[in-house]
Amino acid sequence: MLSRIAHELYWVGRNVARAEFTARAVEAVFAAELQGTAEAMPSVSFGSRGLLAMLGHLDHEQPPYGPGALSRLTLDADSPGSMLASFDRAREGARTVRDVISAEMWEAINTTTLSLHEDGQIGWASPATPHLASQYVKQRTALIWGIANRSMLRDEAKCFLDAGGLIEIADMVLRMLRIALSPSDGLPADGHALILLQAVGGFHAYLRAVTSPPQADPVARFLIFERAYPDSVAACVDSLHEAFTAADAGPRNSKPVLRVSRLAADLDFQRRALPDGAELTGICEETQRELARIDQDAAERYFAGAAPAMAGV
Amino acid sequence: MLAIEGYNPRAGFFDELFEAGGVPRPAADALIEELKRLGPDGMREAGRRRDALFMQQGITFETSGESGPTHERPFPLDLIPRVLTGDEWRAIKRGLAQRIRALNAFVDDVYHAREIVREGIVPWRLVASCPHFARAVHGIRPPGGVYTHVAGCDLVRHSDGTWNVIEDNVRIPSGISYMLENRAAMARLVPELFASYRVRRVDHYPQLLLGALRAVAPSAESEATVVVWTPGPVNSAYFEHAFLARQMGVELVEASDLVVRDDVLYMRTTRGLERVHAVYRRLDDDFVDPLEFDPHSLLGVPGLVRAYRAGSVAIANALGTGVADDKAIYRFVPDMIRFYLAEEPILDNVRTYLLGDPEVCAHVLERLDRLVVKPTGGSGGSGVTIGPQASEEELARLKQLICANPERWIAQDIVRLSTMPTVGPEGELRPCHVDLRPFAVFGERIDIVPGGLTRVALQDGSMIVNSSRGGGSKDTWVLEEGDDADRAGPPIADTLPPALPDLRYGEWTGQQQQQQQQQQQHLAPLR
Amino acid sequence: MHFAIRYLTRYAYDAPVSDNLNALRVRPATTASQRCDEFHTRIDPEARVSRYLDYFGTEVLEFGIPASHERLEIDVRARVVTTDPATPPSGPWDSLTTSSYLDAAGEFLLPWQDQPAVEGLESLQAELGSSSPLETLVQLCEMIPERFEYRPGVTYVGSNVAHLLELGAGVCQDFVHLGLILLRRMGIAARYVSGYLWAAPQDGGGDSVEVDTHAWLEALLPGTDGDGEPVWVGADPTNRKLADGTLVKIGHGRHYFDVPPVKGLYMGGATSHLDASVTMSRLDPQASAKA
Repeated sequence: MLSRIAHELYWVGRNVARAEFTARAVEAVFAAELQGTAEAMPSVSFGSRGLLAMLGHLDHEQPPYGPGALSRLTLDADSPGSMLASFDRAREGARTVRDVISAEMWEAINTTTLSLHEDGQIGWASPATPHLASQYVKQRTALIWGIANRSMLRDEAKCFLDAGGLIEIADMVLRMLRIALSPSDGLPADGHALILLQAVGGFHAYLRAVTSPPQADPVARFLIFERAYPDSVAACVDSLHEAFTAADAGPRNSKPVLRVSRLAADLDFQRRALPDGAELTGICEETQRELARIDQDAAERYFAGAAPAMAGV
Repeated sequence: MLAIEGYNPRAGFFDELFEAGGVPRPAADALIEELKRLGPDGMREAGRRRDALFMQQGITFETSGESGPTHERPFPLDLIPRVLTGDEWRAIKRGLAQRIRALNAFVDDVYHAREIVREGIVPWRLVASCPHFARAVHGIRPPGGVYTHVAGCDLVRHSDGTWNVIEDNVRIPSGISYMLENRAAMARLVPELFASYRVRRVDHYPQLLLGALRAVAPSAESEATVVVWTPGPVNSAYFEHAFLARQMGVELVEASDLVVRDDVLYMRTTRGLERVHAVYRRLDDDFVDPLEFDPHSLLGVPGLVRAYRAGSVAIANALGTGVADDKAIYRFVPDMIRFYLAEEPILDNVRTYLLGDPEVCAHVLERLDRLVVKPTGGSGGSGVTIGPQASEEELARLKQLICANPERWIAQDIVRLSTMPTVGPEGELRPCHVDLRPFAVFGERIDIVPGGLTRVALQDGSMIVNSSRGGGSKDTWVLEEGDDADRAGPPIADTLPPALPDLRYGEWTGQQQQQQQQQQQHLAPLR
Repeated sequence: MHFAIRYLTRYAYDAPVSDNLNALRVRPATTASQRCDEFHTRIDPEARVSRYLDYFGTEVLEFGIPASHERLEIDVRARVVTTDPATPPSGPWDSLTTSSYLDAAGEFLLPWQDQPAVEGLESLQAELGSSSPLETLVQLCEMIPERFEYRPGVTYVGSNVAHLLELGAGVCQDFVHLGLILLRRMGIAARYVSGYLWAAPQDGGGDSVEVDTHAWLEALLPGTDGDGEPVWVGADPTNRKLADGTLVKIGHGRHYFDVPPVKGLYMGGATSHLDASVTMSRLDPQASAKA
């Protein structure tokens, strides 16, 4: 398929996944910060300040909370990290590849974007709560992925769409952990890490898979290493490997395939080799850098070098 | 019409949000302002969304009308929260912890040395006649010496603002899921109300409970396996059982899932029998083990008491704790605090008369119309008669019942339950009576989640707050000191992840770098 | 008197059962007038037996058979030496309200099965007015068998006093329950006793008889001079007598359900067929039988 088309699909996947992650994270952070901290359970360092920072919106002129901060993350089309902006980009991309994706898929992305723009009439984003807008975005992204799985041929196009979504989720989870796990101002970055799980939507999966209480260390391990949980970094990397392998003309000597495969093996090794309480931020950083290299390799091999500059890596 | 200005606290009662004369209490000031701003339309709209949300999530309660079939309705959460200051809460918390410690000591004593009986403080006859006195667990000391793992004491506030405990619940107190769902719903439906407050969180309760259960579970080597035991979906509190199991990430089991082999409790799984170390059971002693309790029942897990006696499993709450929340034993709780802890009670009882004493009984029978009468064994407000609200016939019938068996009844002074503005059916605000049930968890130590379930009697003038009898609930806020800047969450570290990548082709690269430079002005340098 | 007791219980199930859990209260107690010298149990299929003393001080044997089986045999053997108890005290009525009596009486004074009110109890109680609690106890042991026919099979384990009064017939368990209720209504503490009864063969010669588990009661009687320690005195309303060396006590409780000889449950819908027998042998036949 055309490199350009593949590249667009890859970014439709990334943007839809980004909107979904933002929706979950905003809701979790918002609900958490409405109340005080839990007794005897220090919060991990993840709040709206961290969320704004990771999505590139930390503006020191404006307070990192309140309606302004909220709209920068939800329905402000001019704010590039808002759910709406992600959907805008996904819609632009989907328009370009309308002939490749199914009609249903296009319609699902299109109506979602339009509905978010029409908020004024629909009124689900009350200035005070992101709940309804988040709920809507979560449901719609689930619908979009569901339609993609049921209506698209398992071909290259689907592989690149999936690959985009997977690398985005893995990247987002790592970003969040980097912020949450970094000790700041001497605060121990341990404690009640519920919010991290809620921000990814993995709370119940965690409870069923792990017996330790949701504190920073076991939660971070779960989000990085637990292959049975689909949104963990390891699971995303595994699936990414599958997607690239299926799409690649010669996977045996393909740079991105080999790199993903190496990363999957590294994660598996670290999962088994790391002692409890080992420092994880380094692993997050390294893994994220590796994902950026994969992104670069993929761009060179599949997208004719149309690589985004992964800033600051 | 919702009009705060038009709200009149009932004379002679303590109002939770207003001082006498209709001035908002300092802690409620900002809340009242916000309620005014929301206005009747805002509240009505939020109420509509609340019902839809609860029905959708299945947070419902089954009510039985006076006559007719039961039906499901959304749990009636009133959207005006109760506000408690940090100081008020600290006193309540200390009082409850003290009380629960004494109740736990009492249960241990009753099934072992009976010192409090030998000292002549609690009559043995009263203990032995408790329907929940469990001879089957005599001499068994559970792991950790903890009996009352989960406790919910009902507090009421008098017209002078002082708090009293009106009832202890140390068998299977319920309502915690409503407390947690109430908070979650409030945060979604009326986040505006939180704007000027720092409200202490409650959602760590399931983790506290799980921690306590693990702490008392007798598992030496591995992580303890904990289960929640429910009587099944027909139980009116099944929602709560499933909720707690899900929130703790443990199995929700029924009796048929459990089996005792060689004094060890197991659950039947697809991978064979799996040992269970701790059971949070949500059914009465009588239905726990047909070999030991109700001989006519075939419900339960035969041999469970054997495993319990062998110390291979922890049961929460311990079997036989019902002896401590018997309504006649209640009368002695302040004495227990003095006896076991050598402390003065921080929270006092409501004045209570034991009708087993003929003189007291005669005295009470004369003034039935001015007292509240309760059967000692009942729970959930069943069988309670409120003198001033009862008809002549009802009182006469009650008198007969009492005379036939005075020991099974107690009488209490009428408590003038405090009131709170509550949204009525037409959106108007009415003063309704409330109580407060905080929830405590006793494992290695006693933890009490800030606040609790505020139950509200929705019928005009009624003081019966039980949800099975038409009561509703309110979110309960315990305020925390701290300023608004905390709202931004904890400060973030110096090391930030790189800016988000985006779909860019060659010619846009320049812009990208420019944007990044802008960001770097705000962010600390990387690495 | 010196007895060898063999209590054999056989269950046959018409289909395989599993997780068969049982609690046995069959071991003769050791009391002031009785001593248990030897005690053995054999369970087939084999099972590990654990023991503990229950709330009322009765030894309980517990076992469970998890594997599938179609029959169960519980074979209990004991040797007991009994003596006749001391002469019962005949303290006065007013001693029943002293605090020392009430303390000793404890929960055995609490009413039982009195709600809803049972028709006929009042009139039975009215017939019992006597000069002393002891006299009343003796009178009770006469009255019950006189008024009620001993007829096995008409009542069942869960029967209550109302059934007995209605039918006019019952077994020892029902007689004892009635006795307990009447005594407690008069302020005399009373408890249910489970055990074995040596019924001497009619011909007086044999020294081994098939009997059944038996039930009688014990009443707490105040000391003779009014301030002596109250004493638990056994009385058998089925056999019109106060307890003697022919009764071998296992344990006591507030009622039958506190001391059932065998209590068990198993998994599986199969029906069980019970065949139980108690054989008592007199090991000192030279002594004269007192029954």
